[in-house]
Amino acid sequence: MKPPKNCYRRPTSLTDATMHYCAGCGHSIVHKLLAEVLDELEIRERTIGVAPVGCAVFAYFYLKCDISEAAHGRTPAVATGIKRALPDRIVFSYQGDGDLAAIGMTETIHTANRGEPITVIFINNTVYGMTGGQMAPTTLVGQQTATSPAGRNPATMGCPIRMCELLNTLDQPYYIERVALDSYAGVVATKKALLTAFQSQVAGKGYSFVEVLSPCPTYLRLSPQKALQFVGREIAAQFPVRIFRKEGVPVNA
Amino acid sequence: MHERILIAGSGGQGIISLGKLLARLAAETIPHVTFFPAYGAEVRGGTSNCQVILSAHEIAAPIAEIFDSMLIMNQQSAAHFMAALDKNGLAIVNQSLCKVHADSRHVLVPATEIADRLGSAKAANFVMLGAWLARKPLIPARAIETAMASHFPDAPAALIDINIQAFRAGLAG
Amino acid sequence: MKKPDNAFFSRVLMMGNEAAAEAAIRAGCQCYFGYPITPQNELTAYMAKHMPERGRVFIQAESELAAINMVFGASVAGVRAMTSSSSPGISLKQEGISYLAGAQLPAVIINVQRGGPGLGSIDPSQGDYFQATKGGGHGDYHIIVLAPASVQEMHDMTVEAFRLADHYRIPVMILADGRVGQMMEPIRLHEDPPPPVPPKPWALTGAKGRPPQYIRSLFVEEGALEKHNYELQDCYRQIAAAETKAEETETGDCEWLIAAWGTCARISKGVVRKARAQGIKVGLVRPITLWPFPHEHLARLAHQVKALLVVEMNCGQMLEDVRLAVNGAAPVHFSGYPGGRIPTETDVLNALTALAHSQGR
Repeated sequence: MKPPKNCYRRPTSLTDATMHYCAGCGHSIVHKLLAEVLDELEIRERTIGVAPVGCAVFAYFYLKCDISEAAHGRTPAVATGIKRALPDRIVFSYQGDGDLAAIGMTETIHTANRGEPITVIFINNTVYGMTGGQMAPTTLVGQQTATSPAGRNPATMGCPIRMCELLNTLDQPYYIERVALDSYAGVVATKKALLTAFQSQVAGKGYSFVEVLSPCPTYLRLSPQKALQFVGREIAAQFPVRIFRKEGVPVNA
Repeated sequence: MHERILIAGSGGQGIISLGKLLARLAAETIPHVTFFPAYGAEVRGGTSNCQVILSAHEIAAPIAEIFDSMLIMNQQSAAHFMAALDKNGLAIVNQSLCKVHADSRHVLVPATEIADRLGSAKAANFVMLGAWLARKPLIPARAIETAMASHFPDAPAALIDINIQAFRAGLAG
Repeated sequence: MKKPDNAFFSRVLMMGNEAAAEAAIRAGCQCYFGYPITPQNELTAYMAKHMPERGRVFIQAESELAAINMVFGASVAGVRAMTSSSSPGISLKQEGISYLAGAQLPAVIINVQRGGPGLGSIDPSQGDYFQATKGGGHGDYHIIVLAPASVQEMHDMTVEAFRLADHYRIPVMILADGRVGQMMEPIRLHEDPPPPVPPKPWALTGAKGRPPQYIRSLFVEEGALEKHNYELQDCYRQIAAAETKAEETETGDCEWLIAAWGTCARISKGVVRKARAQGIKVGLVRPITLWPFPHEHLARLAHQVKALLVVEMNCGQMLEDVRLAVNGAAPVHFSGYPGGRIPTETDVLNALTALAHSQGR
């Protein structure tokens, strides 16, 4: 039996597989939102994703579209290759903070600078999940991780990198927004940002970038609920939640 | 026939482009042709050289040890390379810029002065080519003149004309 | 000089780097990604000019890492893609080559070798034989490695590389050197249609009318990686059986055997002529595929000769494969040139005559 039109249900673009993510992890939420966006824009059958090395490496088990793996950090380069080869397909990369802002920083910046018409989804939870809770380039000052056991010390470890701000210095990006998965409103805002990003690509516009501040209860060592609060209070304090670039034009804070 | 040719001088004297033109035209009539430019440290030192080998047979090593012909355009190249001239070889030496010891194998040509009088010292390489071809007519002189414009597609007609005159001066001289 | 026959007019004088680039275009390469490095820059520049003219893709990437991963992406999408570089840049590409091998993706990679280790020099070298033939990146894999000795072969092997890559779903490397890359020779251009592209049902083109699929090199399910690696090995065995190539010169009656590849093989051909004129019955075996290596050619000839001389522009790399193939049947000697210097025929001839005298003619 077909469910009624407005009935809440599993998006078509999401598989039936049980996700391996930890309880309270933001990845599952973003996967679902992404699947909804692919459904709503009816682009699932012409979308090709690139999964990162990191917790989301198995994205292809959960999303019902074509997906390629990539070497760690080279995700936007692989996405560039796919998009240039098949310009009429919708191409996205899905990356964590290590993949995007540490090892893949060069690829991230140059892909944005070329204005590759792809969508980059950046999950920033300020910590490496898959390898066991190490320091990320976005780890907050003082934040304890496996490789900053006494807390991140700016004198020797630098400070958290703000990717939206950094990319916003470039001329070519079309759309840049940071959202936070800290509340129901944050989830709605994330969905809207993803929708805008993919709509831009469908319309043949340039590079779109959505940074999602996301909870990692396991390595923030917090309960799922406290992790959400941490995202809203601590992480968002370091990384302002707003639109940075709209239709190719920088947006003032 | 197996002719090993070295063209050497300084950067800006048109060494590489002369070698390429020679190789290109030779390839129309000679079965085996190689052109090898020095692209290593020597180029950075301000000198420029290339080797062209023309042969009736398959060319094994495209880098020669001794040469049947040399076009020597500056003093540094004369000092560096001329010991590798074959005992029956022929060296065309740019007398305007080089002093070399007397040797029956050497032909001295004031190439830079001739080219300068014709309107551009840069055409000295074609004086040298003409002088060499007068003694070793391995490719038809007419082919050089015909190919000049297509070989330098961006050069103004006046410069092409100077090149042709320089070539004829070398050929006659 | 006799009047040119018509065949000569169809030849074009081309530099090795440009001949490879033109071959890629004629072989249906749709995407080229590169990063400047001497002595292969002419290849990248040629593609920059001629790929966009044909509506194809050219990107000067931000690094060799990015370039090889763009190749990965284009290959994922099912199109023919290529990159080129020289030794230090090829080291950077090894990560991507390992992933290409793991994901069974076709790709063509041209290495116009220069000296090493480190920055080495920009002079020709054969120092990357180990890297190219023994895997290069991490993991248990091989790529096909072709060794051109002339500009014509730079051209022909590049066309062939695209066929091999697509047929076996494997990266193929052209292992040239600065000498082949920089020199010019008249060549006949590939006038036939591009090698046919086999169906690529595995390519990611969007899940339209079929279930979604993915490309991966990560196999964490129990037993999956072992199965995957056995599949790769099966593919390598098929390649070795069908594609191993070597050229033999004057081996019929030879008492001495030179083994050399690429530039050194070409020089050694001249040495064979000169040595035979001096009464030394020498032959030459030249591996055309460095991987798969022509073990059988060497094993057979080893029983016929008094000794072998391996000639390379390195400190002895193919030498190890020759010794494995010969397996003690004859002494294997070495004449190496690791400093970016191209050996002369005299160098090699001297090494050969010294060997012939010491072993007793």
